[in-house]
Amino acid sequence: MKSPFRPDTVPDPAILGLHRPLIRSLRRRGLIRGGFSLGALAMLTGCDVHRPEAVESALLAVSRWNDQVQAWLFDPNHLAPTYPESMILKPPKFNAYYDVMHVKPVNGATWRLELSGLIADKQPWTVQQLEALPQRSMVIKHICVEGWSYIGGWSGVPLRTFLEHVGADLRAKYVAFQTADNYPSSIDMATALHPQTLLATKYAGETLADPFGYPVRLRTSTKLGYKNPKWITSIEVTNTYPGGYWESRGFNWFAGI
Amino acid sequence: MRRIASGRRGAVGIGTKTLGAVVTVVAFASIAAPGARAQSATPGGMPPPPGMSLARSAAMRFPQPVRVGDLLHRDVLQPVESQNVLGTVRDVVRDSKGTILVVMNFGGFLGFGSRPIAVPVDAMALLGQDMEVVAFTPGQLRHFPSFASSDGVPLSPDAVIKVGLAKPSH
Repeated sequence: MKSPFRPDTVPDPAILGLHRPLIRSLRRRGLIRGGFSLGALAMLTGCDVHRPEAVESALLAVSRWNDQVQAWLFDPNHLAPTYPESMILKPPKFNAYYDVMHVKPVNGATWRLELSGLIADKQPWTVQQLEALPQRSMVIKHICVEGWSYIGGWSGVPLRTFLEHVGADLRAKYVAFQTADNYPSSIDMATALHPQTLLATKYAGETLADPFGYPVRLRTSTKLGYKNPKWITSIEVTNTYPGGYWESRGFNWFAGI
Repeated sequence: MRRIASGRRGAVGIGTKTLGAVVTVVAFASIAAPGARAQSATPGGMPPPPGMSLARSAAMRFPQPVRVGDLLHRDVLQPVESQNVLGTVRDVVRDSKGTILVVMNFGGFLGFGSRPIAVPVDAMALLGQDMEVVAFTPGQLRHFPSFASSDGVPLSPDAVIKVGLAKPSH
């Protein structure tokens, strides 16, 4: 029986072929893909599915809306589960947007953490200065967008302590990071101030090894793995959306768990 | 089989309703990923270039200290997107030339019909809770002789060896 909701003119099925790479990229979400028909696509865009940009901008609008919902749901005092030290995976799992042999170790002796944006004291920091600030350790799960996870033990100065120490404007929207491996990243201020967000310098009680971000990386318990930049070289506090490496390739920005 | 295993490990451990809702939102967010293939822009676990010695290629993988006891019973994977399980780590031994070998139960089905083979640790890499054989294909491993206990001396579970790393292949 013909659906009473069927429009008089149906979209050209060739459109599905046009968007095939996009649809194929959804293979991890079989359920969603299952419901991803030509009709759904037309409804999703509510406009012209003949233009790939229209589809893409509609999907990105959904992602931005998701950012807002996640920020609204985020409880700044709710802690993610922690685990006993005996469960720490040693060494941790390596991941990057390139394979491990392309890791470029950072010289900790000459390394400086540069500061910019809405920060009162922009003096660069050395590793020793960072380690002289109050430290915190946490054993948390690292959850990757790819579907794997492991339990890791991280120590370092809480990002909140650091931001307060350098006189950052804690009412700003974003904290952005630049890294030695050209992996820009950024998080919302609420997450930056969460007690389980660290500028990590140690793993399982030992100095962070080169492939895992020596001398300083971000570890936050409330976001997916790709929101934890390694080999951080600068921190900026800003109200301008900074984006990030994977975010500019379509990944969700808030990426909360 | 591999996917089920990694799904279990990947289970999100935050149990409150609120955060559960966030997870759902994130799931939807991932449909808003135009052009995004996977987290990996380049494949992991690439084999060493032709002619390069195993030791040299392993040295490029930033070998990390790992306890022998922590390697036992690990799954050994093929570094391809489907991450086929090739076997499990049975032992770590040192042969008469001083080479460290990982003895794995290779092949078989549901634990039956596998046989032990010894793979140089420099041909392998750590992948989180698993290991990978990066320098040999499953076809080459099939031609490895079965390992006999006289072929090497087991290392103590508390011994610490260095093993190179690989990024996920998916």
